[in-house]
Amino acid sequence: MITYDSVTKIFGTGKDTVTALDNVSFTMPKGEVVVFLGPSGCGKTTTLRLTNRLETLTRGNITIEDQNIMDIDIVQLRQRLGYVIQAIGLFPNKTIAENIAVVPKLLGWDKERISERIDDLLQMNNLEPELYRERYPAELSGGQQQRVGVARGLAADPDILLMDEPFGAIDPINREEIQNEFLKLQANLKKTVAFVSHDIHEAIKMGDRIAIFNKGRLIQYDTPEVILTQPKNKFVADFVGSDRALKVLGLMRVSDVINRKPKNIIQGTDRSQEALNFLDAREFRYGIVIERNRPIGFVTQKSLKYEEGPVRDVVEHYPLFLREKTSLRDVLSFMLMHDAGTFCVVDEDKNFAGTVTYNDIQKAVKESYADEAESGENGVPV
Amino acid sequence: MIRLLIKLYRISIAVIILIAGVTFERTGLIELLSDPYEYPVIMELFMQHLYMVTLSMTFATVIGITAGVLLTRKRFRRYAGICMYIIGLGQTIPSLAVLALAMSFLGIGTKPAVFALTIYSILPIARNTLAGITAVPPELIEAGKGMGMPPIKILMEVEIPNAMKVILTGFRVALIINIGTAALAYVIGAGGLGDLIFTGISLMQTDKLLAGAIPVTLLALFADFLSELLGIVLISRGLRLSD
Amino acid sequence: MSTLQFIVDNFNEVMYLSWEHIWIVGVALLIATPIGVILGIIITKHEQFASRVLNGANILMTVPSIALFGLMLPVLAIVNMGLGKVPAVIALILYSQLPIIRNTYTAIKNVPPSLVDAGRGMGMDKWKLLRELEIPLAIPVIIAGLRTAAVMNIGIAAIATYIGAGGLGVYIQQGIARVYPEMILSGAILVSLLAIVVDGGMAILERFATPEGIKVQRKLAR
Repeated sequence: MITYDSVTKIFGTGKDTVTALDNVSFTMPKGEVVVFLGPSGCGKTTTLRLTNRLETLTRGNITIEDQNIMDIDIVQLRQRLGYVIQAIGLFPNKTIAENIAVVPKLLGWDKERISERIDDLLQMNNLEPELYRERYPAELSGGQQQRVGVARGLAADPDILLMDEPFGAIDPINREEIQNEFLKLQANLKKTVAFVSHDIHEAIKMGDRIAIFNKGRLIQYDTPEVILTQPKNKFVADFVGSDRALKVLGLMRVSDVINRKPKNIIQGTDRSQEALNFLDAREFRYGIVIERNRPIGFVTQKSLKYEEGPVRDVVEHYPLFLREKTSLRDVLSFMLMHDAGTFCVVDEDKNFAGTVTYNDIQKAVKESYADEAESGENGVPV
Repeated sequence: MIRLLIKLYRISIAVIILIAGVTFERTGLIELLSDPYEYPVIMELFMQHLYMVTLSMTFATVIGITAGVLLTRKRFRRYAGICMYIIGLGQTIPSLAVLALAMSFLGIGTKPAVFALTIYSILPIARNTLAGITAVPPELIEAGKGMGMPPIKILMEVEIPNAMKVILTGFRVALIINIGTAALAYVIGAGGLGDLIFTGISLMQTDKLLAGAIPVTLLALFADFLSELLGIVLISRGLRLSD
Repeated sequence: MSTLQFIVDNFNEVMYLSWEHIWIVGVALLIATPIGVILGIIITKHEQFASRVLNGANILMTVPSIALFGLMLPVLAIVNMGLGKVPAVIALILYSQLPIIRNTYTAIKNVPPSLVDAGRGMGMDKWKLLRELEIPLAIPVIIAGLRTAAVMNIGIAAIATYIGAGGLGVYIQQGIARVYPEMILSGAILVSLLAIVVDGGMAILERFATPEGIKVQRKLAR
């Protein structure tokens, strides 16, 4: 856990001073990823660099696990913290293995332990050890280099990871992959991570909490949901983007809104006219057709009107089925693409699991705004 | 690798041409060399030459690299500009003048010669060390610092290895100039292969002249080749890959 | 100091020797430059020869100057030109080749290919391109090469005294022979001064020849 207490950083002296950070206070809880977010020059990188004393505090304190960082030997402090910067940080004159081994060697690990650790880390980052150990950074692609950078930061198994726009230099396609991999890693390792980014999408994706900075001040410090639904001021609202309702949907899944027992279910074997009567009586505009517990499509009053045979002969097919883990944002996108208001959800065996309608989604967005309003302050434990 | 082989090829061509040229004079030269009286003299002069070169290069390398590294350290960085200017100036001064100046203040013989050679060789080494280390991308040094590498480790494992190519070039230039200047050291009484060359010129004795000129040339060419080998040994493969 | 006295006393001789020295270097550069620049331009257009030519010039420069004089002596003695200014000038020309060729080559190669494309697209033919784009952009670097060559030549010319070429090296040679310290120092200091002045002068020439646009470009890049 890292605590920032009235942290202030002023560059320069006399007349030409720049206040990079102005009285910033917040606490990073253990085991969570906190994204330091903001435009260029807002102070996010400075905050990170103050943490491992690459910059010196002008005023205030930073404590790690109740120990003031100024009380720890500077070199030892840095060895305890994992530090990952953009890909250029890999030493071109060392092999991948040597690069990763830097901090463990400084800490005095023995050869075997280091070697094992290197193999583990490479595996963790989806780089085959046999193939990559003896290579040099110049031989690797940008994405591979960055993975090695992450591995190097994790080498000494630090509790805390400091990452400075680590994925910035990678092309968007690889970046998404690496982000996903990192999230998987973090789910297992549960490190305390300070992650600097200027990209709101990255922040929402990667962060358990987001600390938004602007011009040296900490503007808002909350979970992504709160920031999206309750931006503190115009700056945050603008930074987050006017499409924040959609972004909130990106955080929600089908499983959050699924209707598992819809009432307008019709069996494929039912006769059309009976089905029509059923729909008419209950005033359903359409019915979902199931056969052997699998959805096969839908029928409307109109499509059934003049039919005689089983419903299954009349059914119109759904263009796709949803899974419980599909994000609501994707669902909305499908709905727009196919001009459909309802989709069926299935499990791995293609069995019917429920439905999601456009109304469900709308309700969910409205509720998330209402929910947070009820919980009062952007409650973050300090 | 390929460049090394090409260099080897070139050197052998040069050697062959030299040998061919020599064959024309063979009556004089081979006789001179096989003369039991002359041969040991030639060897002694060769050894003397080698001695001056090796001694001065050792001093120059140690002092030059140390000076270059020191000028990149935070404390001394402001002096770097002035020092580089002085070094640049020093390199402009003709080698013969340096020898003559050394003689004026230190007398004749091997000592002033070695002194002059050392001073003259420090310049390219120091300048290249400074330039090479300054050229190491600052992000690498930041990364090292941030990871908790103590400054010494950063110097030894990041800065110097990445500057090695440039430093080695400086060394090579210094070495080759050194060998040539050592040949001039004869005029201030230091012996060396220059003895044969200058005597050969003034006495119009071609065999003596060639007995001095050819070994010196071969020595210089060999030193060039040696520097390339040194490069392969000292420069990390990771850095050579970008060539 | 007594050295200053010496120079003042022998002012005419000093002038004469200085002039001799400058003459040798000057003639050598005058001949070496066109050869070097043309060779440099040729190898930029015919890459296959580039490495061979550059390596050859490199090897030339590796050979110690006194050794080169020594090697040339017997060869030129055949035409009775073994001693004197001729071998000196020839050696200087040979030594100047590497800096001049290499700098010309690098300078032209460094002209951004996008500019060459733009020029060609506008209809400039090979010669026009060369004349109006590549060479003007390359001049500052070529002059830098000339600067290196000039300073180097001044040093070698001092050595050439020993094969009878004259020049300021005479003071050093004679001074040592006659054990005349003031003469030695005069020679050493004068030739050093000459080198420093020429170096400085060419630096100014370099700046002078850099097109305004490039100067601005460099300033902004800092």
